[in-house]
Amino acid sequence: MEDLKTYAENTWCPGCGNFGIFTAIKNAIPLLEEKGIKKEKMVITAGIGCHAKIFDYLNLSGIYGLHGRNSSNSEGIKIANPDLKIINFSGDGNGLGEGLAHTIFAAKRNQDMTFVLHNNSVYALTTGQFSPLSEIGWKGPSTPKGSFEIPFNAISLLIEVGATFVARCYAGEINHLTQTLVKAIEHEGFSFIEVLQPAISYRKWTEYSKNIEFLDKEPTTKEEALTVARNKHKFTLGIFYQGIREAYHKSLYGDLNPVNSSLSREKRLQKIGEILKP
Amino acid sequence: MTKNVFTFLVGGKAGEGVKKAGSVAAHLFSSMGRYVFQMDDYMSLIRGGHNFSVVSTSPNWISSHYMNANLIVNFDKRSCETHMNDTAKDGLTFFNSDEQDDAEGIGIPLTSESEKYPMKNLMYGVGAVAILASTIGFKKEEMNQVIKRQYPRGIDDNISFANMIYDMVNSECENKFPLERGYKERRIISGNESICLGAVAGGLDVYYAYPMTPASTILHFLAKQAENFGLAVVHAESEIAVINMAIGSAFTGAKAMVGTSGGGFALMTEGFSLAGITETPILIVLSQRPGPATGVPTYTEQADLSFALSAGHGDFLRIVASPATVEEAYYLTSEMLELVWKFQTPGILLTDKHLSESSMTVDIDIERAKWAEPKMHEGSDYKRYLGTEDGISPMLFPPSKEIIKWNSYEHDEFGITTENADMITFMHDKRDKKLNALIEDLKERETVNIIWGENPTNVFAYGSTYMSVIEAINFGKINPTIIQPIYLNPLPIWELKQFKNQENIVVEQSSTGQLTSLLREKAGLNIKSTIKRYDGRPFDPIELSSKIKEVL
Repeated sequence: MEDLKTYAENTWCPGCGNFGIFTAIKNAIPLLEEKGIKKEKMVITAGIGCHAKIFDYLNLSGIYGLHGRNSSNSEGIKIANPDLKIINFSGDGNGLGEGLAHTIFAAKRNQDMTFVLHNNSVYALTTGQFSPLSEIGWKGPSTPKGSFEIPFNAISLLIEVGATFVARCYAGEINHLTQTLVKAIEHEGFSFIEVLQPAISYRKWTEYSKNIEFLDKEPTTKEEALTVARNKHKFTLGIFYQGIREAYHKSLYGDLNPVNSSLSREKRLQKIGEILKP
Repeated sequence: MTKNVFTFLVGGKAGEGVKKAGSVAAHLFSSMGRYVFQMDDYMSLIRGGHNFSVVSTSPNWISSHYMNANLIVNFDKRSCETHMNDTAKDGLTFFNSDEQDDAEGIGIPLTSESEKYPMKNLMYGVGAVAILASTIGFKKEEMNQVIKRQYPRGIDDNISFANMIYDMVNSECENKFPLERGYKERRIISGNESICLGAVAGGLDVYYAYPMTPASTILHFLAKQAENFGLAVVHAESEIAVINMAIGSAFTGAKAMVGTSGGGFALMTEGFSLAGITETPILIVLSQRPGPATGVPTYTEQADLSFALSAGHGDFLRIVASPATVEEAYYLTSEMLELVWKFQTPGILLTDKHLSESSMTVDIDIERAKWAEPKMHEGSDYKRYLGTEDGISPMLFPPSKEIIKWNSYEHDEFGITTENADMITFMHDKRDKKLNALIEDLKERETVNIIWGENPTNVFAYGSTYMSVIEAINFGKINPTIIQPIYLNPLPIWELKQFKNQENIVVEQSSTGQLTSLLREKAGLNIKSTIKRYDGRPFDPIELSSKIKEVL
C-alpha cells in the first residue's frame, strides 16, 4: 500500500475527513487488483479544492484539472481509451457548483466512471463560504447573515439525471466506504458516491457520528430509490440505486477503442483519396 | 468581369433549395473541367428571409465569387429587389413571373409550373439549374444526368419539370453563354471539409464541439465520417466541456481537435490555459464571424485575431496559423496537428466564415499532409515534466506501470503541485524554451506565402481575404507583391523584416485593423493604409481591385 503514496507533503488539516477517503481508496485498490482491475489501468482526476489534494498524495496517473472541470477530463479520457478505469474526485463546490453541468451530463450519458463527491458542505480551502450542499443558515464570509438557499439533495439529483450507481458513505466508516468504492469502480456506467467528509476547521465529527444511520435495505427500482433518497435524512448511508444501462462509449462507437485502434496514415490517406474523387 | 469568368447567382427564401441549386451549378461547371468558387449568403433563420448562392467559374484557377453576375435567377420579389444591380453587362436575369409581372428580365412561371408536382416550391432549385443549363448550351440529356445525380428524390418529376423550364428558356436564349471547357474535372469541397480531411490525414482520433456557426459543419462532417475513420465525435454540453474533454483525450495519446467560433472560444479560454500549463497538445479551429458577442452569426469577419493571439491567462506558447485557401486548409490543419504534438502546447487554426463555408474546386496532394507524432519516453523513472534542452518532455500514456501526472497547478518534474520559488521559475523557463525551438523549426517551413510582383507597394492579407486579394489583382491587372502570413504566432519576423522599409498596405476584415496593428507592432512594418471591410460580407474582387488601385 506504501507504493500508493507519493512523496508529496500532506497538507490536509489534522483530523480532516479527507484522510478517511484517502485510506479507503488505498484499501480499495488492492481489492480491485485481486478482481482483475489492474492499477496501471486506473486513472484519477481531481478538480480544485481540499478534496483535490488527493491527486498529489495518491500515486496513480491522472489529471489534476481545473475547478469544476475535471469530470470533463474524465469523460475525455474514457472516450479516447475505454480500457481505462476512471476515478473522478470532486468536492461539492467543484462538482455541484462550478461543475454542476458537467456532473449532470456525465450522469445523463452514463459515462463509465466513478465520481467520488467529498461532501464537506463548505468551501474549506477558500475560507469557509457556503457550498451547494450547505444547510440554510450557514454563516460564512460571503453569507454573514447565513445562507438562505436550499441545499441540493445530491443523491436524488444524481438518480434523477441518470447515474446508474448511487451511494452515500461516510469518511468515518472506512470499511463501508472501501467496499462501496470497489462496487462503484466495478460498475459499468456512471457511479456516484457522496462521501460525508467532516472539514475539521469548520465542522465537528460528532455532528456526523451522532446522526449516521444505514439504509435497512437497498431500494429495487428507480422510483423507490428516489422516494427513499428524498425522505431519508442526509446522514443516511448505503447504496440507494443500482441500474443497468449501456455505457456512453458503447453507444457511441460499440467496441472501438479510438486511441488503440487508430487507423494508420496509409489507410487514412487512401480513404481521403476516395472522398476527394471528383 | 474578366473575359473567361462566368457567374451564376440564384436567390430566394430559405427552404427553397437555393444553396443546393448553387452547389449543383458548381458541380455542373466542374464537370466541364472548369474551376469554381461558390459563396453562400444566408440568414440566421430556418424558413423565409433571403438567401443567395453565387457561383463563379473560369477555365483558370479562381479564388473568389463575383457579385456581378452573368446569369441571375430570382425565386421571389425580395431577391429581385436585392440583386437589382448585380446583373453584369449583357447578363440575363430571370424572375418568377407568378410572384410579380413588372420585374426587369425574363419571367418564368416557376410557382404555377411547380404546383403541378407534389414537391411544389421545393423544385425551384431544379428550375434554376434548367435555366442555367439552357443558357450555357448544355444538351438536355446532359442536364438530365446532372439532375438525376444531384436530385435523387422524385427523379421523374424533377426531370419532367426541368425539361419544361429548359424549353421555355431555350426559345429565347439558348446557348447565350457558351462556356469554354477545361481538361480535368475536379472535386469541390468547402473550407470546413478540407479542415476535416487535413485533421484526419494528420492523425485525428477524437473531435469535440458544441454547435456554433460557422464551425458546425466540421462537427457534422466528422460525425458522419466517424465510423469510416474510426473516430470518436462528440457534441458535448458546452465549449467548456468540449475543451476539457479534449485535454482528457490527449492524456491518453489520442489526437484531439475542437472547433468553434469567437463566443465558444471565449468559453474555452480557461481550458486553453490548462492546456498551456499541462503542456497538452490540442488543436482548436476558430472560425471567425462578426462580433462582439453573438454578432452576425452567418456572416464573415476577421476580428478575433488579437483575441486568438492572447487568449488564456498566464504565460504560455500558443501557436496560431491561418489558411488562405480551401487547399491550404488541408495541409495546414495537418501541419498544426503535427506542431502541437511536437511542441506539446495548444494551437489555433484561425479561419473565418468565408473560407469555412465557401466551396472551391481543389487539386489536393493528399500525401503532402503532415503526421502528428510525439517524442516518447523509454525505460523507467518517468517524469512528465522532465527538464530538457528544448523544453520538450517526452510523453507516455496510460496504461503504464509508470506514473503519469498532468497538473493544472504549477508542478515539479514528476507532476506534483509546487509552491517552491525555484521550481516555479524552472517550469516557466522550461515552457518558455519551447518558443525558440518552435521558431527554429518554423524557419524550415513555409510560414509566409509571397507572390512577387513589380509594383513597389506590397499588399498584406491573411486568411480568406488573401483569396479576395488574388482575384482582385487578377481582375484589375495590377501587379503588387502579395504577402500572406500563414503563421501569426510566432509571427515570422525572419521573413517579414525584408519589407520593413517599403510601402505596405493591408487588406483585412476588421474595423480596427487588427492585422495592421500586429504587423506594425511585432514586425515593425510601415503600413501606408488599410483597406477594411466589416459589414459581414467578403470583399468583391471588382470593388477591391479599384480600392487597391487607389492606394497603390
